[in-house]
Amino acid sequence: MQGPESDIAAMRHEMPPAVEAVPALLDQLEAFAEANALSPRNAQHLVLVAEELAANVAMHATGATRLLVEVRREGPALNLLVEDDGPAFDPLSAAAPDLASGVEERDLGGLGVHFLRTLARSVSYERRGGLNRVTALLDAG
Amino acid sequence: MQITEHKEGALTVAALDGRLDTATAPATEEKLVALLEGGGVVADMSGVRYVSSAGLRVLLKAAKQARTKGVPFSVCGLQPAVQEVFEISGFDKIIPSHPTRAAALAGG
Repeated sequence: MQGPESDIAAMRHEMPPAVEAVPALLDQLEAFAEANALSPRNAQHLVLVAEELAANVAMHATGATRLLVEVRREGPALNLLVEDDGPAFDPLSAAAPDLASGVEERDLGGLGVHFLRTLARSVSYERRGGLNRVTALLDAG
Repeated sequence: MQITEHKEGALTVAALDGRLDTATAPATEEKLVALLEGGGVVADMSGVRYVSSAGLRVLLKAAKQARTKGVPFSVCGLQPAVQEVFEISGFDKIIPSHPTRAAALAGG
């Protein structure tokens, strides 16, 4: 990893697709955010989006054996890549939550994809070489 | 996630400290649901720097459980980053939130 004065810095984190492995990922993302002097808000957005994508694989991708999270800072933007070898799954295909409903009706699901859509500038999914690859563009700075 | 609890009259204050994320959500949920068995709960979040969607689900489950039992559930002391997560998800409209523990105890 390069210092905060560098215009391009990167982080690469390989982890087992397991819930227990998520805290180590969050630790490393927080360290990356700090090393790159991201604002608390942008740091939070990066960690939220990365956790959503990684947790999705850890909890739902039966048969996945590896999970890779990469972040590259390129000037004013962060490029986040989350890759796994589980069954083909596009996280953007999940339904959006009903944000207007009250506590009784409010469904427990759908929040993760809502964060993904709301916090990232753009998100794309591709299936390539037996891998799910989700790329998200976020604000640095 | 560290959770310390103490009674304030009929309410239990649960002070959360750490990240409320995918990994810490299950144990936190278990704890809050157990505390709600004994009456209303104020979750003091001033020591929580991060809440993910898994963490929000825990708070929503606690709120639902409280509603079923007819006891109050509220949060207090949200850090700015956590406040933003509440607003993005619409949780600021469904879970009572107070700036401080004292306000939460006064407001139920």
